[in-house]
Amino acid sequence: MDDSGHGSLLELDGLSRSFGDLRAVDDVSFTVPGGQMTGFVGGNGAGKTTTMRLVMGLLATHAGEVRWNGEPMTAARRRRIGYMPEERGLYPKQKALDQLVYLGELSGMTAAAAKAAVLDHLERFGLADRAGERVEKLSLGNQQRVQIIAALMTSPDALILDEPFSGLDPQAVDSMVDLLREHTARGVPVLFSSHQLELVERLCDRLVVLSKGRVVASGAVDELRGAGPERYRITVGGDAGWVRDQPGIHVHDVDGSTALLEFPDSAARQALLRAALDRGDVLDFARQVPALSEIYREVTA
Amino acid sequence: MKSTAWLTVARREIITKITDRAFLFGTLGLVVILAGALGVQAFFANQATEYAVVTSSSAGYQIGEQVRTVAEAEDDKTTVSLSEAPGDAAASQVVKDGDADVWLHEGDGGWVLTGKDNVDSGLTIAATTAIRDAVLRTNAAAAGTSVELLQRGSAVSTSILDGDAERAGVAKAVGFALAMLFYVASLTFGIALANSVVEEKASRIVEIITTKISVRELLAGKVMGNLALALAQMALFVGVGLIGLTFTDYDRFVPAISGAVGWFVVFFVVGFGLLSCLWAVAGALATRTEDVQSTSMPLTTLTMAVFFAALFVDGTVKTVLSFVPPFSAILMPIRVLEGSAPWWQALAALAILVLAAGLVVQVAARLYQRSLLQTQGRLSLRQAWATPE
Repeated sequence: MDDSGHGSLLELDGLSRSFGDLRAVDDVSFTVPGGQMTGFVGGNGAGKTTTMRLVMGLLATHAGEVRWNGEPMTAARRRRIGYMPEERGLYPKQKALDQLVYLGELSGMTAAAAKAAVLDHLERFGLADRAGERVEKLSLGNQQRVQIIAALMTSPDALILDEPFSGLDPQAVDSMVDLLREHTARGVPVLFSSHQLELVERLCDRLVVLSKGRVVASGAVDELRGAGPERYRITVGGDAGWVRDQPGIHVHDVDGSTALLEFPDSAARQALLRAALDRGDVLDFARQVPALSEIYREVTA
Repeated sequence: MKSTAWLTVARREIITKITDRAFLFGTLGLVVILAGALGVQAFFANQATEYAVVTSSSAGYQIGEQVRTVAEAEDDKTTVSLSEAPGDAAASQVVKDGDADVWLHEGDGGWVLTGKDNVDSGLTIAATTAIRDAVLRTNAAAAGTSVELLQRGSAVSTSILDGDAERAGVAKAVGFALAMLFYVASLTFGIALANSVVEEKASRIVEIITTKISVRELLAGKVMGNLALALAQMALFVGVGLIGLTFTDYDRFVPAISGAVGWFVVFFVVGFGLLSCLWAVAGALATRTEDVQSTSMPLTTLTMAVFFAALFVDGTVKTVLSFVPPFSAILMPIRVLEGSAPWWQALAALAILVLAAGLVVQVAARLYQRSLLQTQGRLSLRQAWATPE
């Protein structure tokens, strides 16, 4: 898969937005290529929700531009984007089926097409028998599913999902992931925010990290992981403290029999391994790829 | 498709409302009460009265026939049956047995109506008129003159310089009914509209909706849906009322009322639309249903002011207010009903009302748009106006 995806391209270019003196979103630029899942992470108050609202036109931008395939975003385009807001909401007293059909019609679907799409999605989430129930009677997890259907049912051109996985049980997360993969397979750009870094790591092709309203890291997940220094983990039979006395290497951390090391070149690496074998057992020696959570901690520190 | 988005919204408003039991039972309840009240009126108006009169002489029978003519001419639901008994004792017995209501017979210097335990006042009045006329005619002939000559110049009638008294009375009653309708409709629908706006806001579904359609379309759909329902409800009430009236003694006023109701409907549509937009804003300023009561306070007061103005103002104030929106929405139709406003005044007031409504829609749309995404407590009007998009 090439980097631009095989579908459309959503671009955020220099978006800024202030609330009074607070600069909630500050010169945010990144791209969401079609056919890929882009994870959007950042602490509370980092500006994720505001950024998504700017993309959806719910808030006016103070600077910058949102582009769709190189053209400025329009209201008609936004109608074709599936959006799931952070603060979940549906009409509590209306039946699940009825209000999903209503939202489908507002997106420009015919009532019949909307109904077929809704029933299909309810079926997939195992909610077919709850279609006629009022939303307030559904469990929170099921309300969440209904909300997701509202975003996905229109075969949208793009998906902007604010915390789509929060409140879902593992099984629902899996069916949700399957569903999202179907949409990326159509070449649709998907941007979703999440606090669950392991989940983002598992799902995402790309990552955007936001901190205090600014983008602090953005790119393909593999690139981001590879961008840091190469580290190796060594586990020996005895205490690993002796590595500190080895010349020409950088010791990142020593914990009992395990050490985390950086080498300037492969000769230094070979020398260390030989020295370790001279001293006794080497239980483990492996390249350490940083977890997303480490990258996240580093860039937001 | 986009241009019909407000229709989709309006349709949902209507469907939600008419499948709401409270709304349905409320409407039905009012129709039943209205029909019941009119039914009682109609029952008494249509109740047939029958008087059985017995006489004991041929002179008595002749006078009885005069009484029958007068009584039946007075009220077409009244019938008088006459019978002749062979003698006073027999006639008295017939009344005692309850086979006749009264025994009509000659007494000292006149005629007597003898009943068992009472004599109906309606019959007494008819008998008094008939007997006086008949006796007067006989006496006049005996004196060589005629009743007409004797009564010449004695007729007394009344007239009012300022308008038509009967019409004024009807205008007052119908005006009250229409003002009441407007008040109840704009209050009940207004509060419901404000609540449905705050429901969308509180549940955050508005965030999804406004990525699909514009805030103006949403506002238009909600106002139109409620307007259609309010009109339908009003048509039902007015229809039941007018049809009911035709069965009562007031049936002769129906044509005059129907004409004024036409004006009322036009003013209602525009006035209700104007107020509805404001109610929607009241809803948008709140964040929770509990807040609506305080954000809608000024509107509740305004609606009540319109209602009480319709009932109590008079003279110049009334004329002036009948051009001032939203007071004109109900005061002008009432003036048309009274006959104190020519058609061009009604049109002028309507034009002003339409202009005001247009302006209110613009302002309301801005306030509505800017407050919809503000979820931190209640907003003041000034805050909502100044909030950036």
